Amino acid sequence: MKTSTLTPYAIRKRIAIVLLLTILAVIPLFLSRQPYVMNVFILIFYTSTMSMAWNLLGGMTGQNSLGHAAYMGLGAYVAALFVTKAGLNPWLSMLLSMLIVGGLAGIVFYPCFLLKGPYFTLVSIAFGETIRQFVINWDFAGKATGISLPFGAESFLEFRFMSKAPYYYIGLIMIIGVYLLMRKISKSKFGFALRTIREDEDVASAIGIKPMKYKVYALIVSSMIAAMVGSFYAYYNRYIDPDLMLQSYSVEFVLPAIVGGAAFVEGPLVGGAILITLSEFLRNEFGAILPGINLILYAVVLLVVIRFRPVGLLGWFSESKLKKMIDVKILKKSEKDEEV
Amino acid sequence: MENPIIKVESITKNFKGLKAVSDVSFEIRSGAITGMIGPNGAGKSTTFNMICGYYPPSNGKIFYKGEEITHKHPYEYTNMGIARTFQIMKPLGNLPVVDNVVPSAYFGRYGAKSLKEAREIALDVLNFTGLYEKRKVLAKDMGTPDQKRLEMARALATKPEMLFLDEVMAGLNPAETESAIELIRKINDSGVTIFLIEHIMKAVVSLCEHVIVLHHGEKISEGTPEEVMNDPYVMEVYLGKKGENNA
Ligand SMILES: Nc1ncnc2c1ncn2[C@@H]1O[C@H](COP(=O)(O)OP(=O)(O)OP(=O)(O)O)[C@@H](O)[C@H]1O
Ligand SMILES: [Mg+2]
Repeated sequence: MKTSTLTPYAIRKRIAIVLLLTILAVIPLFLSRQPYVMNVFILIFYTSTMSMAWNLLGGMTGQNSLGHAAYMGLGAYVAALFVTKAGLNPWLSMLLSMLIVGGLAGIVFYPCFLLKGPYFTLVSIAFGETIRQFVINWDFAGKATGISLPFGAESFLEFRFMSKAPYYYIGLIMIIGVYLLMRKISKSKFGFALRTIREDEDVASAIGIKPMKYKVYALIVSSMIAAMVGSFYAYYNRYIDPDLMLQSYSVEFVLPAIVGGAAFVEGPLVGGAILITLSEFLRNEFGAILPGINLILYAVVLLVVIRFRPVGLLGWFSESKLKKMIDVKILKKSEKDEEV
Repeated sequence: MENPIIKVESITKNFKGLKAVSDVSFEIRSGAITGMIGPNGAGKSTTFNMICGYYPPSNGKIFYKGEEITHKHPYEYTNMGIARTFQIMKPLGNLPVVDNVVPSAYFGRYGAKSLKEAREIALDVLNFTGLYEKRKVLAKDMGTPDQKRLEMARALATKPEMLFLDEVMAGLNPAETESAIELIRKINDSGVTIFLIEHIMKAVVSLCEHVIVLHHGEKISEGTPEEVMNDPYVMEVYLGKKGENNA
């Protein structure tokens, strides 16, 4: 679209985006004394990014993996090992970790795509657990004790900071970057191949799409993002152990996408922001009263959302009167904005 | 026949104990509309699926423009210029109609380079197949006639030379059948060779220059629609003198 043809709607939409980005950019300036709140933001950034990685495979391709914690954990381990054992630069280690985990996932997991539906999901759980068991028994990687990353002077090059703000900004860039990538994929030939495979593999084959090939591509991209998030996690917490790969964490990357709306590129973002804020709030408010009650409340909220909005919050929102109202009244959407 | 576009050499398909198709041979003339008829369960779709690479024949060979394609994968057919529809419609239900056709424009022989180009091709094809007005409707929300059309639109958007249609008129009322016949003729006029399976005799007679009859997995007759209809054995099968299915 050329600038000259921008409708009022397009302009207002852009203003809204710029506004949101500005708010996100200045938040650390006001929260520098509140490391806890900063931590929640960082948590939202990397969990939502993981959820987008999951959603490429689950939401867009229809391959429901429950092994994504293992990709992230493996990414964290590979990066941490490069940093601690080989003394490599953390940024370079992150890149290597992405390449190694992506390659490994593509090669090792390849045969799993011969399985479909729930069988695929089961194998992805087994696959994740295998990696975890391997790491637990791996002397070089510290077995169950895990790996600590060296502390030291603050340095961007060393991916090491005293305050949370730099991690916040790196996390923010990560989530925005991955979001833009997902949007690009969604509108690309690749994205259409993935959606066709999700809807019907026979149809995909009948119009020249090789399902196996594109499923593996999606897995490689997805696991590379997971490895990036894993590396970030390792540098941020400066300590990792095999619990990172617990299967229950995989579920935490699935939920934001499902609750937000797996059919939408924005689903994991909306779901991630809401779910993490909610679970942190519940933990603070209720966790101390009766241990575990926060988890029960969390589960209830999940049940209600999934029961009444199976297409996710965005699925509901995109059809709702609220959106229409916002579009027409605030963003001045007109007929012209409805193309195709 | 001189240079048939498709040549089938005594193909057989066994499903476990069942012989669904046995020793069937025929040829499809380039540029023509060829039909296949036969009672329910005769093995028509099975024959069709073998030719389209959906499953390999247990025996026999299949040639496309003289080249053997017996063991090609279905996704290799698009580039060769062969497209198909499914008897049991397979709409990409959760996607709008236009997005059902866009993937064909990307992966077919138009080889669209951008979403804009792919959309243009898709909209052209939707226009051609009479689905333009429905372009924004979710595919699963359409009725049978439109889903049948969508099957054809999706196949056409790959820009085939050879189109396989499996009962695209089943479940249509007479008026809808009439317009489907028109559409098929229009596709053929645009230079696409067509092979179709159909139960509706009127359609077969008005469209096909050559008809193949299957019964119990065997080819029992072939020729012009007239020849076939007057074949005593075919009449016997169709009139059910021996208590067979009638179509
Ligand atoms: N995948 C399969 N596995 C086992 N048996 C099959 C399979 N597909 C078809 N058959 C059997 O093969 C025979 C031929 O079926 P086919 O679908 O080819 O018939 P058809 O002529 O297309 O019939 P219709 O007019 O009902 O579509 C039937 O007895 C059917 O039950
Ligand atoms: Mg059939």
